[in-house]
This record gives sequence, C-alpha cells and structure tokens, in this order.
Amino acid sequence: MTRKQKRVSVIAAGLAFLGVATGLTFYALGQKASYFYMPADLATASLQPGQRIRLGGLVEKGTVERSQGATVAFSVTDNQKDVKVTYTGILPDLFREGQGVITEGSFGPDGVFVADSVLAKHDETYMPKEVADGLKAKGVWQESKSD
Amino acid sequence: MLFWVIAAILTLGASLAVLLPLAGGSKNASAAGDHDLEVYRDQLAELDRDMARGLIQPIEAEEARAEIARRILRLSNAGQADDTATQPSRSTRLVATAAVLVVPLVSWGLYGQLGSPDLPSQPLSERLAKNPADSSVDELIARAEAHLAANPSDGRGWDVLAPVYLRMQRYADAVTAYRNAIRLDGDSAARQAGLGEAIANAAGGIVSAEAQAAFEAALKLDPANPKASFYLVMGVAQEGRIAEATAAWQKMLAALPQGSPWRGAVEQALAESAARSVASKAPAKGPSAEDIDAASSMSPQDRQAMISNMVAGLDEKLRQNPRDEEGWMQLVRSYAVLGKTDQARDALNRGIAVFGADSDQARKFTAFAASLGVTATE
Amino acid sequence: MVETGHFALVLAFALALVQTMVPLFGARTGNHKMMAVGAPAALTGFALTALSFVALATAYAGSDFSVESVWENSHSLQPLIYKITGTWGNHEGSMLLWVLILTFFGALVAVFGGNLPATLRANVLAVQGAIGATFFLFILTTSNPFVRLNPAPIEGRDLNPILQDLGLAIHPPLLYLGYVGFSICFSFSVAALIEGRIDASWARWVRPWTLVAWMFLTGGIAMGSYWAYYELGWGGFWFWDPVENASFMPWLAGTALLHSAIVMEKRSALKIWTLLLAILTFSLSLLGTFLVRSGVLTSVHAFATDPTRGVFILCILTLFIGGSLALFALRASRLTAGGLFHPISREGALVLNNLFLTTATATVLVGTLYPLVVEALSADKISVGAPFFNLTFGPLMVPLLVVVPFGPLLAWKRGDIFAVAQRLMAAFAAALLAVLVTALFIDGASVLAALGVGLAFWLICGALTDLAVKSGFGTVAPATMLRRFAGLPRSVFGTALAHLGLGLTTLGIVGTLCFGTEKILSMQAGETVELSGHKLRFEGLYPVQGPNYSEDRGRFALLGADGSVTGEITSAKRSYPVRQMTTTESGIRTIGFSQLYLSLGDEGSDGSVVVRLWWKPLVTLIWGGGLVMMAGAAMSLLDRRLRVGAPSRRKAAAAVPSASPQ
Repeated sequence: MTRKQKRVSVIAAGLAFLGVATGLTFYALGQKASYFYMPADLATASLQPGQRIRLGGLVEKGTVERSQGATVAFSVTDNQKDVKVTYTGILPDLFREGQGVITEGSFGPDGVFVADSVLAKHDETYMPKEVADGLKAKGVWQESKSD
Repeated sequence: MLFWVIAAILTLGASLAVLLPLAGGSKNASAAGDHDLEVYRDQLAELDRDMARGLIQPIEAEEARAEIARRILRLSNAGQADDTATQPSRSTRLVATAAVLVVPLVSWGLYGQLGSPDLPSQPLSERLAKNPADSSVDELIARAEAHLAANPSDGRGWDVLAPVYLRMQRYADAVTAYRNAIRLDGDSAARQAGLGEAIANAAGGIVSAEAQAAFEAALKLDPANPKASFYLVMGVAQEGRIAEATAAWQKMLAALPQGSPWRGAVEQALAESAARSVASKAPAKGPSAEDIDAASSMSPQDRQAMISNMVAGLDEKLRQNPRDEEGWMQLVRSYAVLGKTDQARDALNRGIAVFGADSDQARKFTAFAASLGVTATE
Repeated sequence: MVETGHFALVLAFALALVQTMVPLFGARTGNHKMMAVGAPAALTGFALTALSFVALATAYAGSDFSVESVWENSHSLQPLIYKITGTWGNHEGSMLLWVLILTFFGALVAVFGGNLPATLRANVLAVQGAIGATFFLFILTTSNPFVRLNPAPIEGRDLNPILQDLGLAIHPPLLYLGYVGFSICFSFSVAALIEGRIDASWARWVRPWTLVAWMFLTGGIAMGSYWAYYELGWGGFWFWDPVENASFMPWLAGTALLHSAIVMEKRSALKIWTLLLAILTFSLSLLGTFLVRSGVLTSVHAFATDPTRGVFILCILTLFIGGSLALFALRASRLTAGGLFHPISREGALVLNNLFLTTATATVLVGTLYPLVVEALSADKISVGAPFFNLTFGPLMVPLLVVVPFGPLLAWKRGDIFAVAQRLMAAFAAALLAVLVTALFIDGASVLAALGVGLAFWLICGALTDLAVKSGFGTVAPATMLRRFAGLPRSVFGTALAHLGLGLTTLGIVGTLCFGTEKILSMQAGETVELSGHKLRFEGLYPVQGPNYSEDRGRFALLGADGSVTGEITSAKRSYPVRQMTTTESGIRTIGFSQLYLSLGDEGSDGSVVVRLWWKPLVTLIWGGGLVMMAGAAMSLLDRRLRVGAPSRRKAAAAVPSASPQ
C-alpha cells in the first residue's frame, strides 16, 4: 500500500468506527430512553407490554398500604385518573401522601405498575419538575407563591 | 466611616496594580523565537539523558535528534520578523488613561448601586449579647430557643413556647414544640388541641387526618374541650358534609356554657355554613378562631380597638420580619378596610421598598393595592 | 466586614475588565508596558476575590442573618464546620468559590509565567480576565451573595440536610479546581489562536495544567461518587444523573487532552487537534456549570432554579464556546501541522485513545441533552438513564481498556506491535488465570463477570509490565535493573500509576456489580439476618439528639461464626426540624476492600423496621483506584521536564515553579 492508500484506510476505519458508535447511540436512545407519563396520559399512550416508563403524579391520600415485608402499594394520581403502583424496597425519605413522586418501572399483566425505583422530591420547595409541569398543564396545581 | 477608609485603600491598591506597570520602565522581553529555541535545546538535553539511561535506542535517538534539529532550522528561517516595538501612540495613551480610570469609576459606581454601606455586620452572638430589654419579640424567642437547644428535655419550656409560636403564625415550629411538650411532660387536652390547631394551620387551615388524630386525643382526655370539638366539626364541614357539621355545631352550641368564648366562633361558623359552602374557603390566615369569636362577643368600640390592635401587631411583625409577601398584602388590605388610606399607602410603599421597586412582588403589591383603591403616591 | 467583601468583589470585577482589555491591546500593538499590566492585575484580582470570600465565610461562621444568603442557607444551631462549608453549599456562595479558583489559577500564571513569551502571557491573562469578568458580572447581577436584609431576621432557614456532611466540604472545591483548571488550557488555546502561532513552550505549559486540572477533577468525581453512595442511602455509586454526567464529560475530554498533549509535546504533532480539545474540555466544564446552575435539569445537586440565571449562563456559554470555536475556524488553518507518524506507534495508540474518549464524551453528551431536545421539540418527556449508558458507553470503554497496556510500550513514530505483544504475554497470562479462577471457583459468576475480572487484571498487570520492561526486567542484571528502575522518569511512574488506578476502579466496579448481593426485609429487634456469609442481629432503635436534628438510630450487631459480637453497624433516620426534612444515614462497615452497607426504611406499626442490606465486594477499589490515578497525575507533575513551563533559563533559574497548587 502506498502512503496515501494507508492514510485513506486509516481515515475510513475511523469513520466506520464513528458510524458504528452513532448507530449504537441512536439505537440505544430508541430502546432505552423511558418516556414520562402522568396517569391521565396513559389512555392515549400505546405501550408495549413490559416497556419501561416513568410514571409521575401525586401519591393519593389514604392509598399507601404496607404489606408484610418491604413491599408497598399506593396509587399515583393526577387528580383525573389514578394508577395502582407496587414497589419493593425502601421509599425515599420524603415520600409522603399527597406529595409529588416519580416512579420508574413497567406495567405488569394485571395492570398494576411495578416500580423498581421511586423518586420523591428532595426538599420542601422542590417538586419533581416533570410532575410540576404536568400538573400545571392539567391546571390542578399552581406554583406556591413563596420563593 | 471605617468602611469607606478600607474601600478607599482597596481602590488605591487596585489602581496602583494597573498604574505602576504602565508608568514603569519598559523592559524589553525577548522575542518568542528565543523561547522556542530554549525548549528545543532542553529537548536535546533530555534526549541525551534518556539515551544515557538506556531508555531509548541509539538509532531512535539519532532520528529524534535530526527531527529537533529540523525544528530549530525552521525556527531560524521564520524568526526575526516579530520585532514590532512601537512608539506610544495617542490611542495607546488613551487606552492607558481609560484603564486607570476604569477601576475606581466602575467599582464605586457599581457598588453605589448594589451595596448597603451603612449596614454593619450583625453576627448573631453580638445581637444576643445585647440587653434583653432592647430585644424584640423575635430575639426573646431566639433566646428561649437557644435555651431549649441546650436543654432539649425541658418540657415546660416547650409548653410555654408552643402557644407563642402559634400566635406568631410559626405553625411548623408550633407543631414541633407541642410534640416535644407532649413527649416530655405528657398528654393534656390543651396540648393536644393546640397541636391539632398548629397542624391544621400549618396546612393552611385544612383539618388533616393528623390534626384530627390530635383533636380526638384531646377529646379523650377532656370530652368537653371546645377547641378540639370545634375543629373536628370544621373537618367534617371541609369534607363537604355541611348538614352533618351544622347539626354538630348546633349541638355544641347547646352544650356550651353561657359566656364561653367559643359561642361566638360556633355561631359565626353556623352562619357561614348556612350562607355558603364552608369547605370552599379555609380560614387560613388572619385572626385565629379565638380572636374572631372574642371579637364577635364584644361591643363595637371594643371590637374596633381589638382589630386596630391586631393590625398594629401585624405592622410590628413586618417591621421585625419584612420579607413576608402575604403579610404586606394583608396589612395594606387591613388599613384599607379600616378606612386608614394614608396608612395603607404607607404600608404599600414600605412593602415595595423591602422587595425593591422593580421586583415581581412590588408589581403584585401595586396591582393588589390598586384593586383596593390604594395607589403608591397621592 | 460583609460590605468590605462586597466592595472587594465589585473592585475585582473592575480589575478583571482592565486585565482583559489592556494586555490584549498591548499584545496587538507590541506595547510591553501594557502587556505587563496583566500579571499585577491578576494577582490583585485574586487577593480581592479571596478577601471577598473570606468576608462571606465569616458571615456564615458568625451566623450573620443580615446577609440574605446566610439567612437562607444557615442556622445558628448548625455545627461550626457546616456553617463554614455552607458558604459554598448554595448557589451564590458556590459561584463565588468558582471565581475564586479562577482568579487563583490566573494568579498562578502571573507568578510562574515569567519565562513565557510576553505576548503569549499577556493574551493568556487577558482571556483569563475575560472569563473572570463575565462570571463576576453574573454573580453581581443575578447571584449576589452579599444582598443584605434590614432588619435582620433572628434565625436562618438551615442548610439543606443532605448537604450537611463532610463530603460536601471537599467535593465542590475539588470539582471546581478541576473544572476551572481547564480554563488555563482554554486560555492558552485562545491565546495561541489570537496570535496565530503555537509556541514550542505552549505544549509544555498546557500539559502540566491539564494534569493539575485532571487530578482535581478525578478527585472531585470520586469524592462526589462516594458522597452520593453513603449520603443518599441508595447504595449506588454512580447514577448517570445529569449533574454527574456534567462533571464526567470534562473528565473524559480532559483525559483525551492529557494524552494528545503528550504527542504534541514530544512530537509536535496533533497541534490543532490538541488546541481544539482544550477548547472543548473547558466548554464542557462551562456546559456543566450551565446545566447545574440554570435549573434546566433537576437533580440531587441542583441548588436553585432561576430562569434569569439560566439565560445569563447560556449567554456566557454562547460567548465563550461560540467565540472560541469561531476563532478556531478562522485561525486554525494558519497553524502549521506537525510531524508524521505510522498508525502503529505511540502516537497512533494515543490517537486511538482520543478517538474512543471523544466518542464516549459525545455519547454522554447526547444522552444528557437528548431529553432536553425532545422536550423542546415535542411535548414528550423522556428520561435517559443507566440502561442507555450501559449500552453505549460500555461497548466504547471495553475496547479502549483492552488496548491501554499496549500504548506506553509502543515506540514513538513507528512501533512494533508483535514485540509489544510478546512483552505483554505475562500480563495476558495473569488475566487469563484471573478469568479461569473467577469462572471456576466463585459461585454464580457469569462469563461476563469472569471476563470483567480478567480485563481488570489485564490493566493492572499491563501497568506493572510497563514498569518492568522499562527498567529492563529479565534482560539486565538485577542490580542494573534496580538502578534503572530508580532512574526512570517520574512521568513513567505517573503513567503506570494512572493505568493501575484505572484497573483497580474497573475491578471495583466489576466486583460490586457482578458479585454484590442485597436483601430487603422487615426486622424486629433481636432478629438476625445473613447475607453472603455475614450475620447481623438487629438490636433495636434508639433515639439520639443531635445539635440541629434528632434521629432514631438502628443498631445492628455483627456476629462472628460462633455467634459472638464482632462489631456494630448503625444506621439512622435523621430528622431536621427547621426544614422538616428526614434523611437516612446509612451504616457502612468496611471488611477488606469490601463493604457491608445498611440503610433503614420505614418503621412498621408492629415495631418492626424495613432494612435494606447490601454486600458490596471490592467496592472501595472504585474510589481507591481514583486516588491511585490522582497519585499518578501528581507523580507526573513532579517530573522535572514537565515542571517548568518553558525550560529554565540560566539567568532566570530562580523562577522554577512547582506546578502543584495547594
């Protein structure tokens, strides 16, 4: 191979590498990015069975049930619809009834959302951004005037 | 005064940092090419060291040496062209003068806009060391808090502080204080009822399940506790069961002794529930239920005096703790309702001053005041 | 004192303006007096910023609630140490720390840059001054920490409890030293573009600064990871949280820069690429600041969300990234390209390293920004988390790690891959042995896990092979070998240590992810639980009163094989009354390199409590590896050849800087 051919082949290899990396990235974005829904959005969403999503809303008052062991069941609501969620593990410190929450997981065959992670807000003034935006869009929540 | 002296010294120092090099003698720095040559010489020396250590093969070393030599050659061809020392021109002198002036002008100008030079530092320890007689209510509370922080198991202390918090509308603190008092000094109907009231007020007047539990505990200790019964029925009303609440209040009214301060509150609640849905408006802020019931059983003059008192109290509180948006609006409204337009305007101006004339809050205050017929200026 | 600090900050802004304009003008017109303004301005600017920072820290330490940011983020009952660390535990204070470090680095250039060409030094200080001026303006107009309250409130609102931790004392300053350290590389690059030429001393300056910044950034990320690990109580060490990514991207790009700067210094090749990389690395640092400070992303770390701040930072971002890249597009063609090399050579290996690292950076960037783009373009909200990064970042990293041991052994210009492979036989055998031992003797080890362990051993043994080969192991007499070993340049040790650290971190990650176990159960006092051979007995919950919190502390006795108590682990639910917040204090016991990690959940009505228990094998190696990498960077910095920006001139021999700032 001449020097020029060599250089071309090195550049081609580099481009091929970048191509593969780009392809992989976009494939992964399609497969692994999880969409965020509020309970009322689910009716119009076409979900594959087992697809991972993020479900956000408020923890409905009076629905938190702790069964034997570490499994907890509660309902997530956006004041229009509500969805039953089960979660096994330790709930975040700020998980409370009536507060904003984001759960991540997928729907089981019985229509119950099985969450493998639950995120609550981190302090009193912080509402998960997605939940706050979603609730505002639905007109059921207004930003507190302080702050 | 001391501050201005320090500021002047700092400005002088900063200006000198600019002025001295500009005024100083010109040292002619070496041309960039010399620096490159030094680097290449050093690389050659490094190459020799590496070879002596046996880190590099003689053939490779030779190649590298040739390469560095080529770089040195290229350098001597390219060099000699960057000697551009010029006479200071007019524009140069202009830039220099501007630079020296920028430091004092920008700093004093900007600081004049942003700073609060008259405000001394106020470390907490100094403030607390003052004579108690000069202290404000807030500072006295802070002392009590410091005492309780040191002796957190002083149940009596918590018991005294809790109603004070409640009156100061520091509901969350009141909840903590009542809880501590109950934990340390045991249950009492008054403490449980107070706890319930604090929880309800912290939630903006909503009688939550937690508050309800406290009121029920109070009733268990003293079935005749009027505060607990009143709020429990309020909870029923908030759930929209107006008829049930009305019946309960009527029953309560019948049971209350003549002259009980709660009669007025119950009567008013009954009137409200009759007039409109009680649940739609939570009696969140403003005078507490006791104040209202006290006021409703007074002569008109006394009532007027009490309301004035309460407004004055709110005014005083805002002087102590000015960053309370709701508070200012309430104050303006109170003065406007009392017909004291001048004072309303004064309160509006003070509120605007606290947040700055072009803050969101200021705009909100102005709009709110305008809706009451109060404007910032005559 | 407070107002003195405020005034000093304003004065530092004015001085930064002068530091930008005058030396730049001087460099253009060849006026040496004007160029000489840069250094004293930078030094004075640093002194003023330091004064300002000390004033703020004093206000925090003395609970001066007449300062709004103190009132919002401090409480009189907080322990003194958290009062002081609270200075930068909030948006305003942390931005002040940011510029303090920026001016600190500027002052270092002023002090140690005496032997740089005058125009280069003037331009570097001017660019540094420009960055400083914009950030001073940002602080003064949108995030002023010296805003006063009159009358002063009597009590503060307390610092966010999850920030009341020693980790917070160390994590942000380290991270900022890293972020802002890259500003020097950026300034040097822009200065070179302004001048239209790259001096030979350029690479010699850029490399130590990259090393310094990289060292601190490594420490900052490792510290942050450990802080999240024990403070959040989730047992994870990396969450691919946007804010973590914001610090990881400059690290990846900085690592690439570190390697390409070697090629540039030794071979004068890859000049333009190195310059671009230096610009990109600092741009990513700025982007990180933007993502965290603007509140575009909500995260554990986001202190404040304020749209005007976001817009301002976005402007800064556009100005510096856009400006420097435009300058690059205009001027890059003027710069001369460097020496040639064969694809299989040390240079070739370093280019491969750069290819992988920059691609990985791009992947992380896409994953971090994609949700923002999607949300801006459609109504959909998505989140990109660990599954995405595992699928993209992982495949990019594995081949890179495989080729790492080859790099340092290849010769410059033209290397012999087969000779190098031969030298690495021992390392390869060790890795193979590790794979076999893992697969055969550890229960439940998957093939992937065994290969992961093998990869880690390959890296570790490869790094050791590098040292052995360079000191002539097996080819010369032992005495000569020892002498050679002692005489090896420190940068060789630096490389070996850094690669060794990488191997250790890999081992820690593989160990934790593949061999870790966990259990969630609800326990009554007196019950015992066993996990991976470790037996724990729950002793019960005990209330404890802290200075500004109270907690329910769960005590667990660690039992030996015979049932005797060999140790204790405590984990607590802590509640802070001022902010009405609860935090979980996890309980950790280190056994060898592994850890037993325990976190408390809710208390049941029957007095039982939910307990989550993890066994994390070799987990400490993740951060230990980071420390070894930092040691490698420090070792390289000690190398005499790197220590001097330009070689020490005989007449100015006294001006030899030690490039490791305190």
